Amino acid sequence: MTLPERAKRLLLCPVLLTRVGCAPYVVNAENISNELRQEYRFKTEATGTNTNSLFICLIFSGGGTRAAAVSYGVLDKLKKTRITWKGVEKSLLEEVDCISSVSGGSFTAAYYGLFGERIFSDFRARFLEANIQGALLQSLFNPVNWVRLASPYFSRIDLAAEYYDKALFEGKTFDTLAQGNRRPFIILNATNLANGERFEFTQDQFDFLVSDLNSYPVGRAVAASSAFPFLVSPLTLKNYPHTHFTLPTDYQQGLDDYYTNRRRYYWARNRAMYANDAELPYLHLMDGGLGDNVGLRPIEAAYRRTSGFIRNLINDKEIEKFVVIVVNAHTVGEDIISKDESPPGLATVGLKTATIAMDNYSVETIEAMKDLGVERLKAQKNIAACQKRLDQCPGVPQIPKLAGDIDPYVIEVNFEAIPDPEQKKYFLGLPTSFYLEKDQVQALIDIGPQLLEQSPEFQKFIQGLGQP
Amino acid sequence: MPMEYLIVHFPRRRRVKIDDEFNGYTEELIEIEAGRHVVSLGPPYNFTPDDRTISLEDASEVEPRETTFDPAGAR
Repeated sequence: MTLPERAKRLLLCPVLLTRVGCAPYVVNAENISNELRQEYRFKTEATGTNTNSLFICLIFSGGGTRAAAVSYGVLDKLKKTRITWKGVEKSLLEEVDCISSVSGGSFTAAYYGLFGERIFSDFRARFLEANIQGALLQSLFNPVNWVRLASPYFSRIDLAAEYYDKALFEGKTFDTLAQGNRRPFIILNATNLANGERFEFTQDQFDFLVSDLNSYPVGRAVAASSAFPFLVSPLTLKNYPHTHFTLPTDYQQGLDDYYTNRRRYYWARNRAMYANDAELPYLHLMDGGLGDNVGLRPIEAAYRRTSGFIRNLINDKEIEKFVVIVVNAHTVGEDIISKDESPPGLATVGLKTATIAMDNYSVETIEAMKDLGVERLKAQKNIAACQKRLDQCPGVPQIPKLAGDIDPYVIEVNFEAIPDPEQKKYFLGLPTSFYLEKDQVQALIDIGPQLLEQSPEFQKFIQGLGQP
Repeated sequence: MPMEYLIVHFPRRRRVKIDDEFNGYTEELIEIEAGRHVVSLGPPYNFTPDDRTISLEDASEVEPRETTFDPAGAR
């Protein structure tokens, strides 16, 4: 290159940098009604070898690469588990209907949702064994990005989202996930920083922003779901004018339930608030783990609400076995606070304050889901027992029955269940990071299937199915 | 909060709409959560009233809340 050419290029550099710096973040599009388009909602008709009668939901928790690796191991185990259901032999994985995830678990969920079983050939190299943290840092040190980051409309989360979009999710948008009656239905969860409410990347949620999810990159949703506070900035979404918006009936009724059903009231209120677009023209999303670090809450809502896809299928006698597999990569750091007489410093107190409530809440959410299953079984038993008594009295009419009995299972994969104390200590001590050593990744991939197999609830479920 | 139970009466078997979503059939026990709900039936629209708003609380599987629709000329 000649000297004048080099000088010309150097002169062009600031111009280019300024232009790049002005490039805004990817804005979610306004929803322009198009009835011919397939939107990203749960579709009740199962296709292929998947059935509604055996309805399986997987829950992938947060926890960086640790969570992504355990979830991957469980997916692999389900693929290798052969079952016969309604006379058809298949893998358990083929029967998975939905996956709800937060943070690290969202990488595995989104990748499987987009690429299916290709995950078993390339996800390890592309994500689990890759130094994602290093790659993100590298992009932060790139001078071109300094200029871009100087813009108030482009921040660290946008850099992360760009990286995930290119390096992992190949620029795919939710339009890919929306095509056909694809199962599993993937629910990627983030948290609205303003009110701590769970925010899911589904069209049902985007309806409340009068926004179109189909054109939105999956990589950005995963970035929001895993946007750990302080490490990256929040991801911004636009809330469009609600000119022709009508609040769905379930929400309208829920807003009147303050005294009768507080859960439903807050659920309705926290979505209905987006209708006030003049006051809330933007929302800022962070790690889904801030609202629910397990990712079970959307499934609980889909089970309870009259507009919930699980509730609709249960009441329409579509589901016979309802299985929830929670892959919880929760860890517990060594208790160093209690060893010292002097109180912990500000940073420790800050971290503990941010995570203690979340951890307790996660345990409660799993237990609440188990309680729902137990309650349903009790109701079925009560009806059967009453009918049995009535059958002894000739001429007495039959009592009304539920559409059909269901067999509920809530199965949890959790390091707490590891029997060997040393092994348990090892897993509970693994860091939350987007870079782990290869042997750590391998150990995590191996432990998921072991914990699933040893779970009494999983054993009961498999025995109930009957192996081929 | 425990789930609640509802039974909807109509002389013919018909799909039941709760809060504009299909949730079971007439003369079957329908499990839904507590609170206010708008109950109606699926087509044909030969029933009256158009819908009923109920508040579900303290029902049980053996003592469900009951609500009735009557036949009417097709609309």
